[in-house]
Amino acid sequence: MTTTHSPGEWLDRARALHAEGWQLMDLAGLDRLRLAPADPRFVVVVQLINHELKQRQTIHIRAEGDPSSVPSISEVWPTANFMEREAYDLLGINFEGHPNLTRILMPDQWEGHPLRKDYGVGKVPVEFIPQPLLQIDAPGQSPNADGAATHLDHLGQVVIEGDAP
Amino acid sequence: MSTTEKLIHEVEARGEGAFVESFDPQEGRMVINMGPVHPSTHGVLRLLLELDGEIVNECLPVIGYLHTGMEKECEDNNWRGAVTIVTRMDYLAPLFNEQAYSMAVEQLLGIEVPPRALYIRTLLAEMNRLSSHLVWWGTQGLDMGAMSAMFYGFRERELILDFYEMVTGLRMNHGYIIPGGVWEDLPPGWERAVRNITDQMPRRIKDYEALLTENPIFLERTKGIGVITREEARALGATGPIARAVGIDWDLRRDMPYEAYDDVSFDVPIATEGDVYARYRVRVAEMRESVKIIEQLMDKMPSGDFKNMDPKLTHPPRAEMAHSMEAVIHHFKLSTQGYQVPAGEAYVAVESPRGELGAYIVSDGGTSPYRCHVRDPSFVNLQSLSHMVRGGLLADLVASIASTDPIMGGVDR
Repeated sequence: MTTTHSPGEWLDRARALHAEGWQLMDLAGLDRLRLAPADPRFVVVVQLINHELKQRQTIHIRAEGDPSSVPSISEVWPTANFMEREAYDLLGINFEGHPNLTRILMPDQWEGHPLRKDYGVGKVPVEFIPQPLLQIDAPGQSPNADGAATHLDHLGQVVIEGDAP
Repeated sequence: MSTTEKLIHEVEARGEGAFVESFDPQEGRMVINMGPVHPSTHGVLRLLLELDGEIVNECLPVIGYLHTGMEKECEDNNWRGAVTIVTRMDYLAPLFNEQAYSMAVEQLLGIEVPPRALYIRTLLAEMNRLSSHLVWWGTQGLDMGAMSAMFYGFRERELILDFYEMVTGLRMNHGYIIPGGVWEDLPPGWERAVRNITDQMPRRIKDYEALLTENPIFLERTKGIGVITREEARALGATGPIARAVGIDWDLRRDMPYEAYDDVSFDVPIATEGDVYARYRVRVAEMRESVKIIEQLMDKMPSGDFKNMDPKLTHPPRAEMAHSMEAVIHHFKLSTQGYQVPAGEAYVAVESPRGELGAYIVSDGGTSPYRCHVRDPSFVNLQSLSHMVRGGLLADLVASIASTDPIMGGVDR
């Protein structure tokens, strides 16, 4: 059983479901960029279980606005706390009213949200501190024997004056 | 919302920042960091602790040290290949990851799985429950100072790992359960290997009980320690032995049966105290039930195919490729591109040794998963750790961590 809700009606619906004995089992974000229809782009998918009825149901909540937002349900089901942080971290979905919406899996200073479909896989710059390959700033330290003048080019490579490119 | 839930919400609302700000040397409160490299944190679990002397005022798990983006990696593999990624999540219970994922893909494909495959999967899953609980039993004992527990637990686990090696070729990260069935049939002589385990285990479990269950030091360290109430466990979404140790009578194998669990009879052990010792008793009893299930499955093992033999889904037998051009074409297509799965979404959950392990799969009709999210029980259960240890001694925190049985590979994925 799958139903779809808009963010405005979701919190009231969640409270009603909680009162009926439904428990939150899973909450995942979904980037619909390459699915049809691609609007809204982000959807929060919630899996509920009811032990008395022995039933499950799936609820989709459309994330609206910029940044894409849905109300947080961590006050209804406290277990949503970690799950919403994960969806925020990996997909950048904003959960309004979440007590502590910070990154949970990625480093705090990370830029971007890796599970988004337009996140450049393999295009992440490698973290390193650029250093010149050879320091030649004092006279007499020239690597070439005849003492020809040298300088570093824009890549940090040693260039000897007079060498044809 | 009940008062307990309100309290939980208030504590969660203080967050990590608020936690560190509460450092106050005048009142003797101290904030210390436990982990991520610590022998008793079972991997790279880091805990921020606010201590008042030896009393734990607050405990906040900081996770992500083992995050390797497995859900993203699944999106780059074909449907068959993603099995080898999900199996690495909860590395002590790899077959449950494969099982949940494969069941979700099968639901989207709408295919039948032959009964023999269902039985093999269930048999291996119960073996996996045993081997996972044996590691837990060993580490729970070790963390309480009983060094020998580790040796005994790992001795019996070795038997089961040998059985895995015989069946799947690997001791962990098997990639054995695939959408449509299992990769290979059980090898000749498997009954003897299983019988060897089921004959030994009841005796061994008796030994374990003699070592720890009645051990006065162990009782002292676990009874009344790390208590969580029924309301807390429910609100925090705890599943598996943690939930069953507070009297939540729920087991997916019995209440929403899947695969071959309909055909076997077993009990679901329950305790009500909610302390470390209750979780201990539930898990040890579960090991006994697993042995019972394995014996029944072995006796009832049906014959027939071990996977769905649709040539569009499964590799053709080697011999067929020598004389059939079609088989070569299918083999080439499956090896290079993989099969397509109809667009849609599925959520399937299985009862792993740590609780509900769910796989949420979305397909766009292509040859690789569009989204593959795994609801890992360790990740969710870790939230209840803070509530177990609040107000207890620092030394008892170690007992609570061991009884939560978190697997960081599953937590961080």
